[in-house]
Order: sequence, then structure tokens, then C-alpha cells
Amino acid sequence: MAAYIIRRVIYAVFVLWGALTVIFMVVRILPGDPASLMLGAGATQEEADVLRSNLGLDASLPVQYVRFISDAVRLDFGDSLWLNRPVLDSVTERILATGRLAVAAMIIALLISFPLGILAALKQRSFIDYLVSILSLIGQSVPSFWLGIMFILIFARQLRLLPSSGSQTWQHLILPAVTLALPLVGVLTRLVRSGLLEVMHEDYIRTARAKGLAPPNVLTRHAMRNMLIPVITVIGIQLGNLLGGAVIVETVFGWPGIGRLLVNAIFQRDYPLVQASILFITATFILINLLVDISYVYLDPRIRLK
Amino acid sequence: MSIHEQTVSQHLRELVLRRQEGVLSRRGFLKAATAMGLSVPLVTMLDQHGLAALQDAEASGELNIVLQRVLVSLDPHGPQSVEEPTAVIASHIFGTLITRNFETGELEPSLATAWEPVDETTWQFTLREGVMWQNDTPFTSADVKASLERVIELGGPLAPLWALVTAVEAPDDMTVTITTSEPQGTVPVSATLFFVTPAELSAEEGFFDAPIGIGPYQFSSWDRDSQIVLEASPSYWAEPAAVQTLTFREIPEVAARVTAIETGEIDFTYGLPADQLPALRENSDLSIASTPSYAYYFTWFNSSREPFTDVRVRQAMNYALDLDTLAADLLQDVGAVATAPIPPTIFGHAPQTPYGYDPERARSLLAEAGLEDGFDTHVIWVPGSGPQDRELVLSFVSYWSEIGVNVESREMEQAAWLDDLLALNWDMDFQTNTVRTGDADFTLRRLYTTAANRNGYGNPELDEILIGAAAAADPAEREALYADACRIIWDDAVGIFPFDLLANYVLNNRIQGFEAVPNTIPIFSNVTLAE
Repeated sequence: MAAYIIRRVIYAVFVLWGALTVIFMVVRILPGDPASLMLGAGATQEEADVLRSNLGLDASLPVQYVRFISDAVRLDFGDSLWLNRPVLDSVTERILATGRLAVAAMIIALLISFPLGILAALKQRSFIDYLVSILSLIGQSVPSFWLGIMFILIFARQLRLLPSSGSQTWQHLILPAVTLALPLVGVLTRLVRSGLLEVMHEDYIRTARAKGLAPPNVLTRHAMRNMLIPVITVIGIQLGNLLGGAVIVETVFGWPGIGRLLVNAIFQRDYPLVQASILFITATFILINLLVDISYVYLDPRIRLK
Repeated sequence: MSIHEQTVSQHLRELVLRRQEGVLSRRGFLKAATAMGLSVPLVTMLDQHGLAALQDAEASGELNIVLQRVLVSLDPHGPQSVEEPTAVIASHIFGTLITRNFETGELEPSLATAWEPVDETTWQFTLREGVMWQNDTPFTSADVKASLERVIELGGPLAPLWALVTAVEAPDDMTVTITTSEPQGTVPVSATLFFVTPAELSAEEGFFDAPIGIGPYQFSSWDRDSQIVLEASPSYWAEPAAVQTLTFREIPEVAARVTAIETGEIDFTYGLPADQLPALRENSDLSIASTPSYAYYFTWFNSSREPFTDVRVRQAMNYALDLDTLAADLLQDVGAVATAPIPPTIFGHAPQTPYGYDPERARSLLAEAGLEDGFDTHVIWVPGSGPQDRELVLSFVSYWSEIGVNVESREMEQAAWLDDLLALNWDMDFQTNTVRTGDADFTLRRLYTTAANRNGYGNPELDEILIGAAAAADPAEREALYADACRIIWDDAVGIFPFDLLANYVLNNRIQGFEAVPNTIPIFSNVTLAE
């Protein structure tokens, strides 16, 4: 187990290095110059040159690259060009904000999708089953920007129950978390339903039933546990996606998350900020995947991590 | 002006005291107080509750404000110095030597009480005495000197205004002299955008995360990307603010912002798209304060590229557009047909004869230029640069096609567009611009001289006028020179100057006394709240 984790960490370091190198090159290949952008269309070439040298952007690309990698190893990501403060401060603030949103959305999604999925599987081909299937299909298909704006119109403007935008209190969390959760509910409900249906036809379930185990015990002790592996895999991937991909919901609800930061940083050609944001999103993604892999062992002892 | 207001409030205090002591009759008090310009409810409160009411009236209540962009930095000298949110916060917690009175267009004393040229290349500022920073240290010439040197050193967007400065000196505590390498008449105008920050503290790491100021408000807290809170400063040197707390919140999404102002979650916002305004106007809780702004639309021709090297082609493109119809159809509430290369709110604006919609004339001008069959060209622009921008570009393209000119609309991302714009890698460019200082020099000299080479147009006569206007210290002389400059740029059709833009501020009716400013830097230190 320990050897496995060490191997995975070494592998992760290479993935991170690769991601950093690619993003270092991509942001610099993009047309546009951070100094001119900051000064606006009225500035002269000389003024832009002065600022560029103040920002340390006048060095050659290999020099910038070596400087960047050696700083990154020491967890020094420099100052954001645009925000004029340490990149690490901005990125940690934002990744925590997005993390809060993502975890809340995931909890909501799990609380809804498990009961619905189980219900649909137990009452296969019934009215409830079809209703659940249709609802989960809708949840998966509705675009989140539309859903978000509808929620604002209904709950903030008409009913005046919840604030429309911001992140100051726990009430501010509700609408964006639900908006993020609904597509997940769609995916997870269908997965729980189909997973459970498949497992229910396995031999060991029949055996469990035959030896007289109560139906609820069959469900929780035998069926659920075995259908969890694909579900956990999907949860891991979706949680990772939420970190970088919640940008639309973050924008609609004014949530100060990492996705919005990254998009703005790209528009501002803020190289250090883009690089550090990508690094943190990638690192979190890798970490979640590692945890998912490790959880397999506990769910299914037949799996040995090699 | 502010000293005058200070004496007013001193008088008022005396009046209230005399009323409390019974020296003054109720009627006499009401008469004297209303004569000072106070509202009747306020006077009644003063009559009943005495000085306590005066204290309450001076600072109470809270305003929730949403600006049109995200606040990134509180440093009014650095890269963000001309960004609206930074300037709005700086206007409340810091101060400038000089302010502009938007009603009269005149410059007025603020932290400086007087300024004059002592010789051709030196301006002398006399500072206001007895002003204290919010940490109770006195405001002196050292603060001004250090701040200006910091602006120049940081090389941000304000630095070019001070590019000719060779020395900033502080001969005594209350005097600052600014020496330039060439005569520069724009120094007082530039001073309206220059915020003074405390000399020693400004150099400290993290000072601008929680700054100490000198203005009507003091910093309270800043939760990045969420909100910044300011509280009325009890030690402000002029009339203290009436609203105790200002909360500036971030709401990036338009629909959410409109909802928030409609539900009363926020009290003030601006920069909303044109299509949102009619519905808001119907709302009886809200008002819309509109004013011509410092911003305008323009289309440049690259005069160094065929066929725009020919003035007749550039004029033909102007005659091809029916601007009156477009303004009426697309820009109601947000814009108006322009009359010069700079908006009428700008010092130096001089109205020109409109080109008018004349496709016949456009075609014959093209024929004279040997282009009777028209030609192919393109226009570069960035979506989101101004209200109805896409509709305007598409309308322009369709009008131009009627005179046989086939214009391709090239929509670009901001950073890529700026690269091409600066490299003169374009035929035509469509964009908005804001004359930050409110003075023609900011736009005309920086964009239209041969040396600037921003659009391929070069004209020695215009160069001489613009450089002369920047150097002149006498406003009347500068105004006359800019009138010539406006005429040349307009008649030579360096570009098309179609529309001036309005600033629309949406405010809850409980805000009283808000001034709709043209520079889109709204100020809340003199507003009051209705009951």
C-alpha cells in the first residue's frame, strides 16, 4: 500500500510538471501582452516596455521558464501581475471557496440521487421508475447558466427568500450549490439505478436472499457495497470537474471561485496566476483520483493495488 | 469651498446651541437654518433633539453599492490606478490636490488651496493647512512628493501624465513644486487624478490591503472578490459624510445585479445594458440618473494603408452612415450622435458640422478616388466594448455595403485585439474610449500626433497645435487650440466619430443628492438617505 502511494506521488509530480510546462508555453503563445493590457489602448510602446521590465517579463523565455520551475519547486509562485499580490494567497482563497461550493453541491446530489436511484431500481418499470428517469435526464440536460438565472428570478426576485449573488453568508451558498448539484443528481441517479439493477441479478444476491437475510440487509450489506465502485469513480471525476468547471455557476452567482479567477487571469494574460491556478486544480484532481483508487481496496477486498 | 462649508457647519452648531439655550425662538431657528440650505425635516429634528440629532444626521445608515467592474487593488498609483473601482474607493478614502467641479467644468481646490505656474516649466502647489491623516499624523508636502514619485516609478497607466516631470520638491511643509522638462499646462488637470497617500506608510508591504486615508471615508474591511466596507471618517477636513457605512459589493452577472437593485438588496449600480433600463424606469422605488459621460464610440481608419491614405475614401465612409437613425433605433437612453472627436463633456470640445447621411456623395467621392467599384476591407473590434456594439458594427457594415464597400467584421479577444491595434495591423478599428482626465490633451495629444502613430495619420500642423495646447498654461489659449485640433481631425476624417455615450446610474429613491458625474466615478460622500 505504502509503495503504491509513493509510486503514485512520483507519477503525480511528473503529471504536474508536464501540465505546468504546457501551460507555461500556451499562455505565452497566446497573442497579447500583460503590460499593454494593464496600461490600456492609450499607452505608448515605451510605457509598455517600462512596465514589462517592472513585471519581469523582459527576460528570455528559457530564463523565465527556469526561474518559474525553480520557484514553483519551492512553492513560490510569485506575485500576480494583475492583482498585484502573492499568487498563492489568491489561489488558496479561491480554491477553498470553490471547494466549499463543490462539496455542498456533492452532498446535495448524494442526498437526492441515492434514494431516487434505489427507489427506481427496486420499482423497476413502474411509474416511479419512469418519472425518476425523465427527471434525471432533465437534470443532466438543463444548462446551468439558465437554471442559475431562473433560480435567481424565482427565489431572489419573486419570492425574495434568498440573496441573488455573493458569498457572505450560508444563504448565499444555497442557490449556486443546488444549481451545481442538479446535473450531478441526473448522472448519479441513473448510475445508482443501473448499478443496483445489475448487482441484484448476481448469484451472491440470490444466495443472500436464499439464506433468509432480510431484504434491507441484502440491499445495504451486499448490493450497495458492490455497486459503489463505479459510483465512487464518477463522484471522484465529477468533484474534480467541479473545481475547474464551476466557472459558469460562479459567474452567475458572483461566487469568488477558482474557475472565475482562472478565466479572468487568462483574459488579463496574468501568467503567474494562470500557472498557479492550473497547478492547484491539477494537483487537487490527482489527489481526488488517488483517494478514489485507495477507496476501492476497502470497498472490494478482491482488488489488490499493484 | 470646503472652508466655507466648514464655517457653515460651525454656524449651525452655534445656532443649535442658542436654540437649546432658548435664546433663539423656534421660528427664528427654522428660518436661519433653512436659509443655510438644510432640508425642513433635518431642521425640525435639530430643533427637537439639538446637537445629538446633528451628530446622527451627519453619519447614519448604510448604502450597498455595486460597481460595474471588479475591484482588484486599492493602490491608486499602480497598474490598476485608472480602473473605475480603484478610483471610486480612492476618491472616498484618499484625496487629490485638485478636484473638478462637473457643473462648471472648473478646477477647484481640495488638498491644495492654490496652484500657479512660477515659471515656464514649474508649477507650485500650496497645500491645505491643518489636514490630518486618519492615524492623526499631519498631511504635509512630503506625502505629495512621495506619492507623485511613486506614481512615476511604478510606471502604471497614470505615469504617462507625468512623463515630463524632472523634479518634485517640497521646499516647506505646505508647498510642493513640480518641474517639467518642457512647459506643461496640463499639470493641474493631471492633479485631479493623482491621489495622495501617506509618504512612509505607502512603501510598507500590505499597506494598500488596509490603507489609512485622508478622505471622507475610512477603510473598514475588505473581503476580496466579495465586498469592501468603508465607514464615515470623523476627522475629515471638510463637510463630513452623511451616510455612515458604504458597502461596495461584487455582482458580476447582469441578471443578478438587476434583481438585487429591484429587490432593494443593493441601493446603487450602474453600467447596465441598454435593454435593462426601460423596465427599471418603471419601478417606482428606483430612479435613473443620466448624464453625458467622458466615453464615446469611434472608428479609426488606418491612414497608412490603401485606400485609406486618401481623405476622400475616409470621408465617403462617413457619409455612408445614417447615424441619426442608428442613434434613435439602437442607442436610446445610452448614447447620442457625436459632434466632435471628443465628447461635449470634455474641456477642449468644439462642435463640428455633421457629415450627414449622403450615400450619393459617398459614391461620388469613392469614384473620384478611383474606387467606383468599391473595395474590400475589414474592421477589428472586441465584443463588450460598449452598449449595442455588435448591432452597431453590423449596421455599419450593411451601410457601407450600400456604397460598394465590402467590410468584414473581425471580432477579437481583448488581448489579441490590443496587440494588433498597437502594431497598426488593421484596416479599420471600432471601439469606445474614455477621456479619463476630462481634458482634450489626454485623448488628442496621446492618440493623434505623428509621433504617437496610433492610426497611421500624420499631420505636422496638427502636431504643432496639440503640443502647443499641452504646453500652454492659459485655459482660454488651450481651448482655442483644441478647437482647431477638433476641426482638423473631423474634416480630415481621421476616423468616424459616431456617438457619445451616456452614463446611467440606477439608484434607490432613498438616496438623495446624488450627482450624476460624467467620469463614471460616483461619489457618495455628499449623499443623504431619505427616511
